[in-house]
Amino acid sequence: MKDPSRIYRWLLLVASVVTIVYLVGAAVRENYLAQWKTVQHEYRNILREKATDDRGRELLAKFRVEMKQASIPSLGTVDRCVTCHNGIDDPRMTDVPQPHRTHPGHILDKHPVDRFGCTVCHHGQGAALTFNEAKAEDVFWDYPLLPPEMTEATCVTCHDAEKLPPDQIPLLVTGMKLYQEKSCGSCHKLGGRGGTLGPALDNEGAKTKHQLIMTNLKPPHTTWNWQNAHFRDPGGVVPDSQMRNPTVTPREALALTVYMLSQWKRDVPESYLAPDKIEQKYRALHSTPLTGEQVYQQYCAACHGNGTYSRWDKKFNRFVPAIRGVSLTSTASREYLQANIEQGRPGTQMPAWGPHAGGLLPEEITGVIEYLRAGAPTAPATTALTLPGDASKGLSLFLRNCAGCHGMNGRGGLAPEIGNPVFQRAATDEFIIRTIRNGRIGTAMPAFQRPEAPALGDQDIADVLAYLRTLGEQKGQKAMAQNATSSAPSGGRP
Amino acid sequence: MAEAATREFLHNLYELPHTVKDACFRLGKTPESEREESQATFHNLFLHIHSVRVHVRTLKPTLTFGLGLMATASFVITIITGVLLMVYYKPSTDLAYQSIKDIHFTVSTGRFIRNIHRWSAQLMVLVVLLHMARVFFTASYKKPREFNWLVGLGLLVITLALSFTGYLLPWDQLAYWAITIGSNIANSPREFTDAIGITKFFDPGGFQKRLLLGANYVGQDALIRFYVLHVFVLPLALVTLLGVHFWRIRKDGGLAKPEDPPGGLAEWGGERRPVFQPLATKTYGLMALVKGKRPPVNRGPENTVMSWPHLFWAELSVFMVTVAVTLILSFYYDAPLKELANAAIPENPAKAPWYFLGIQELVSYSAFTGGLLIPVIVVVGLALIPFLDRRPGGEGTWFGTNNERSVFWQSLFFACAVTVGMLAFTVNYGWLRNWFPNIHQLWIIAINPGSLLVAIFAAWSLFILKRKDAVRLSAVSLFTCFLVGFTLLTYFATVHRGPNWHFYWWPSQWPVH
Repeated sequence: MKDPSRIYRWLLLVASVVTIVYLVGAAVRENYLAQWKTVQHEYRNILREKATDDRGRELLAKFRVEMKQASIPSLGTVDRCVTCHNGIDDPRMTDVPQPHRTHPGHILDKHPVDRFGCTVCHHGQGAALTFNEAKAEDVFWDYPLLPPEMTEATCVTCHDAEKLPPDQIPLLVTGMKLYQEKSCGSCHKLGGRGGTLGPALDNEGAKTKHQLIMTNLKPPHTTWNWQNAHFRDPGGVVPDSQMRNPTVTPREALALTVYMLSQWKRDVPESYLAPDKIEQKYRALHSTPLTGEQVYQQYCAACHGNGTYSRWDKKFNRFVPAIRGVSLTSTASREYLQANIEQGRPGTQMPAWGPHAGGLLPEEITGVIEYLRAGAPTAPATTALTLPGDASKGLSLFLRNCAGCHGMNGRGGLAPEIGNPVFQRAATDEFIIRTIRNGRIGTAMPAFQRPEAPALGDQDIADVLAYLRTLGEQKGQKAMAQNATSSAPSGGRP
Repeated sequence: MAEAATREFLHNLYELPHTVKDACFRLGKTPESEREESQATFHNLFLHIHSVRVHVRTLKPTLTFGLGLMATASFVITIITGVLLMVYYKPSTDLAYQSIKDIHFTVSTGRFIRNIHRWSAQLMVLVVLLHMARVFFTASYKKPREFNWLVGLGLLVITLALSFTGYLLPWDQLAYWAITIGSNIANSPREFTDAIGITKFFDPGGFQKRLLLGANYVGQDALIRFYVLHVFVLPLALVTLLGVHFWRIRKDGGLAKPEDPPGGLAEWGGERRPVFQPLATKTYGLMALVKGKRPPVNRGPENTVMSWPHLFWAELSVFMVTVAVTLILSFYYDAPLKELANAAIPENPAKAPWYFLGIQELVSYSAFTGGLLIPVIVVVGLALIPFLDRRPGGEGTWFGTNNERSVFWQSLFFACAVTVGMLAFTVNYGWLRNWFPNIHQLWIIAINPGSLLVAIFAAWSLFILKRKDAVRLSAVSLFTCFLVGFTLLTYFATVHRGPNWHFYWWPSQWPVH
């Protein structure tokens, strides 16, 4: 009779041999072939070569092949980088290959590894024990190792960048300057100040690669590659991006990238903060107002250019009006400008800049109005039109003369929306009449009552005005309700 | 006297190794006679669940492929590795992820141990499903094994629950979003209560979800619940039911097998053998008796061999094969561990564990139908099989009754065609909501690709019932349809569903995120 369990005994033999082979294999692989053990054996040889004096011999004698780590509970980090970077704080190791080499510069003098660890500055997966996993670009880890030149981005976690020696953070300093020069604040909020067309950038550095659209980016898909590529060609990285090409050199793009990486509201214990950082936080709450020109440069220039001419904006597909043009500043009252700046122009890309919206201080708004009106002649008194207007006639005049640019019902098109409530409330009859009569120099708005060819008579203008005011009534009701909620004081800045 | 006692003491001391060995291994040597072999089985707590003799058919590898044992083996492996992991794991949302990383990086062979735990758990789910299919297609659920089929079904559910609860523990993105999806499936009755507008008064979906998570979101409360379930409640339940399962196998007469012809010669292994084997020595007494239709009173056991060593070789080899397979997988493939869980960064696509992906595909058509109705129908349907198909025949033989194999193949092709067709149609043309945007949700709950599949499968099995005039064949057709549907939907959702649950031919085509 055939042995019924013969096949099972063979199976058992094979399976057992396989099991033993793999168990031994795994034990050897994890315990004896670990990358860091090889590295530490190498380092011991280096120590041996350099053990020429008593101190060197003592270091050699004390050296153990073992896992080393800087565990910093208050930062929530366990950094095992020093398991391989053994010579990081040994000044003799400047001439040996990585990973044994001394840390460059004198950073570690003030930032000892056992107090700061490594990843708080360099990012990367500190817990890992192989280089690939520590670098963490291709593994599942939110913050991979920063390239060396970008590491300065993390200095601002504990320092005020303006108080650090500029030569230590060259890219960051350039980036900060470019952010203001390129008027990024016109569209982006930072620290509660800025426009709303683009996303707020307060925690841009905390973003992981999963929060950025990587579809059009060549690998490696790191956040800094994304930022860098995006600064050179926003639309190429994010299709349909409204962002204008900032036209920067590669180094400037890198500087802006570093500045973006530094935007991270990271919670570190107060004991880690440099005194200037605490002062910076205080200053942020008690800001000194910028001058009108500074405000214009940082928060207006991106869209309005230098402000003396209207410019056609391809992304917006409309004209951005000249706001420093003589004709506007000579006709528009201070109140009109203030209302437009504080509350924005609904229906256009112009956001509200009041303290509860764009974050400009009242002094700054006054300042920027002064700046806009600088050099403009004081408005001459105009003979007020007292003629009663007929709105229905006005409608037909509006359709023939105005709707082409200002859109049906004044909803806006190439030209600004003039049916909106803020305009209707802010614009005086006098302002409207004068603008229709004389046009707006530096913009596409023509004069409708040139002495040599008056397109509209006084009565016509009165009719158009009457019609325009009906637009205000129609839309006003609804918008008033919205405005009541959105512009209500909300605690306010201290 | 004192001298005698001293001598005795010294002698005892000298004999100590032998006496301890004899006490532990009471037989004291490898069993030589069948009597000793039966004692080796019968006197051992762990072995005595076996009968001392076992039918040769039971040892035929192609009868069971050792699937049940494999499931048990992988469970034992997860228990052992699980206890090791418990030593290092910290069930807190602040510490869990870091503790897994530490297991990965610093615990000696910790990565390997976690890999073994993960892969053997996945293997267990797979093997349990295959085991169920084996039991069905060998008609092994028939009388007197109906109850054990139910116990097995309970074990399947517990196995899925064990795997599912373990999924959350690493507290990484994969875990977080898979459990978010899973808990939303628990919430699926709400689609129905919303549709008829009674959620405010009666909300079983919300109740289930809160019961599962201990909150309205996946957080610390969910983690600790899942941990307690995973390491205590469910393993305990599984061990208990497993005990019952094994006990019932023994009490129901071992593995299901066809009756041997009474007396004479039996066809076995290509040769004819006497079914009655007179034994040289004494009989084994009651311990050799197993339940059968005809208790072998006054007759020697038929076509049986000693459990020791044959059955135990078989069992040990299956166990070691499972260990070897798991080790090989664990050596080459690391258990997944993504970034730290982050509620602000949704995984897209967020996918449930693979064994729930079929359900997730159905849920994408209708949460209520896919997440509750169809799973309940399937489980209840599976439970009813032994009670609706009661005609004996075919036990212990693959496709043992007339026409079974052809019905199996027909159903296989039919179900493949229908499922693939339904998926292709849905991907290409959408469903009711795309055609009639304002249609009432109740229509979609009632008529969707999932419910249609179930209806078509049911119709097919009724058709087989009429045409073949056999309940077993109808059951075979329905079970085959279920298997095909489960497999294809799982495959489809695993491979072909990408971000936003859109169709992609291959994951490499997913837009990079």
